[in-house]
Amino acid sequence: MGTLELDGVTKVFPDGDGEVVAVDDVNIEMRDGEFLVVVGPSGCGKSTTLRMVAGLETVTSGEIRLASNVINDVKPQHRDIAMVFQSYALYPHMTVKGNMAFGLEESTDLSDEEIETRVTDAAATMGIAELLDRKPSDLSGGQQQRVALGRAIVRDPEVFLMDEPLSNLDAKLRSEMRTELQRLQSELDVTTMYVTHDQTEAMTMGDRIAILNAGELQQVATPLECYHEPANRFVAGFIGDPSMNFFDVERDGDTLIGDTFDYPLSQSTLDDIGDVTDLTLGIRPEDITVTEDASGDHTFSTVVEVVEPMGDENTVYLRFEDAPEGETFIATVGGLQRISVGDEISIEIPEKAIHLFDGSTGEAVHNRDIEE
Amino acid sequence: MSNDARTDGGTASATDTGASAGALARIDGYRILLYLGLVGMLAFFLIPIESGLVTSFKTPGGVSGSLPFAPPTSSTFTLEKWQSAFDALGRGLINSALYAIPATVISALLGSFAAYGITQSNWKQKYKAPLLALFVAGIFIPYQAVLVPLSQFWSMVPLQEWLGFLWALGINNDYVGVIELIVTHVAYGLPICTVLFRSYYKNMSEEMIEAARLDGASIRRIYRRIVLPLSGPMFAVVLIYQFTQIWNDLLFTLVLVQTESSAAAPIVLILAGLGTSLEGQDFALRMAGAFIAALPTLAVYIAFGEEFAEGVAT
Repeated sequence: MGTLELDGVTKVFPDGDGEVVAVDDVNIEMRDGEFLVVVGPSGCGKSTTLRMVAGLETVTSGEIRLASNVINDVKPQHRDIAMVFQSYALYPHMTVKGNMAFGLEESTDLSDEEIETRVTDAAATMGIAELLDRKPSDLSGGQQQRVALGRAIVRDPEVFLMDEPLSNLDAKLRSEMRTELQRLQSELDVTTMYVTHDQTEAMTMGDRIAILNAGELQQVATPLECYHEPANRFVAGFIGDPSMNFFDVERDGDTLIGDTFDYPLSQSTLDDIGDVTDLTLGIRPEDITVTEDASGDHTFSTVVEVVEPMGDENTVYLRFEDAPEGETFIATVGGLQRISVGDEISIEIPEKAIHLFDGSTGEAVHNRDIEE
Repeated sequence: MSNDARTDGGTASATDTGASAGALARIDGYRILLYLGLVGMLAFFLIPIESGLVTSFKTPGGVSGSLPFAPPTSSTFTLEKWQSAFDALGRGLINSALYAIPATVISALLGSFAAYGITQSNWKQKYKAPLLALFVAGIFIPYQAVLVPLSQFWSMVPLQEWLGFLWALGINNDYVGVIELIVTHVAYGLPICTVLFRSYYKNMSEEMIEAARLDGASIRRIYRRIVLPLSGPMFAVVLIYQFTQIWNDLLFTLVLVQTESSAAAPIVLILAGLGTSLEGQDFALRMAGAFIAALPTLAVYIAFGEEFAEGVAT
């Protein structure tokens, strides 16, 4: 069945006299029917990875296995993989029906009636039954998107590949299609690899997320694991919006010494750290709480520099009292809390919510406590 | 300007109105000049054609007795020249069509194939680049430079013997010249066709071709079902361009068919000698002949005009 394995997959592009490593030793195993979202910043190699699975790029080294068969040298047309492109890539001279039937006509021996039936069924699934005789140029962006998806599902492939399929849609349509894609994927139960740079899509859609940076796989885990137990500082900063606050600190005995604050640690946290002294302290904005009582070990006096009211919550840019102006960190507080620029407020950074990363390698040495 | 005027104080508003009225007058004067210029250019370009057309309807007396661009009067009007031009050129029209149409279609098709190969196929760039360089170089070889090698080449190829079965069917063996013209024009037109199609295919959506590959289509099927149907506008450009080139070409016909007395003489060869005799030039006949010879290219432009505009725009 559709288990897809990437084993040490590497892609090197020649660049003038030198070489550029676009994808570096990526290992991912996807079980049958899994929805994996590959996410990362622009140029991290996520699209290249997808294109290697599709067969549109050659694999420099490593193996790609589909249902335990190595497919490195199988031509794209023989891989039984369907791909949805960011630009939809519809055939402009064919009707919607022609677009959807094309793959079946080219890759199967089905009779015309069978093709017709399958196209009609897939069109009904996608809600585009009434558009079958129209040309792509007569359709809206959202409708074209549905046709592109319909063209993929009608072939009933082993694997779906999707390359930022929603990024050309407006915000409202995008969130609608997000839900619909999820529903569709779980209904069809087809192994799906979905590339995006949008972390909302990554968090909400996938069974698991694979985070890539500079061609290297950072972490493959469920969205919540990535959020609460990031493998390293990159993942911690990439997942979550607004993103995690980081402070460079030095460990001195049982205390972390920052530029503008000291943070004492409990024994259990110290055990995690071992003998690393150069550390980065990470705290998510929503874990910072405003408090009246400023006497605790983990409470600090801060000045409010900017307030961005979002309605349900306020995004507040704070500055430690001793810190120079402009050196801020972010906290999110309840939307009804009255906080205005220039206020001096006390905040708590609870120890159970902090993350600690090795200052030089970025590896996580301590992640937040999770209440079961 | 108006800002400067305001800083001067009291008189400013008066000078302002005066200046803007002057500007209006200047614009009107400029417009009049522009339209005069345009009409002048229109006349400049159209008068030769108009003169040719009116001359073709005049009797010899009318030609010598009136200005070239003056229309014929009722006493000097005649259709006789068109009739005799058509009688003289009729077989030439057919002969020209016999090689111009196949050569145009074949060179356009081959150009499209070649361009598809050097853009969409997944050969390495280092293999494509020298091929493309050869095609581009082919565009810049002038007709005159190949005339001698061309006639030598065709004297070495025993086409006359190979096509023996055609002559056995009763076809005049002068028509070997038509076959030679087809091959020569295809070879000579291929580079420009390829380069034109290449620029068109370069702009085609790469993702669309990739989608077709993933849909299971082979490289040939992608050409037939995706690329070829989308090439319409560029085919119009290439067909019009090639047809005009081939139809109007005199040099190759002079080398390969040589005389207007040949049964296979193309229209351009016959036209070259039409209305010329020891007694002088029959201008009316020459004009009528020129218009008849130009009609097919005009027809091709009209037939593919819409696609042509689209193809040129891309």
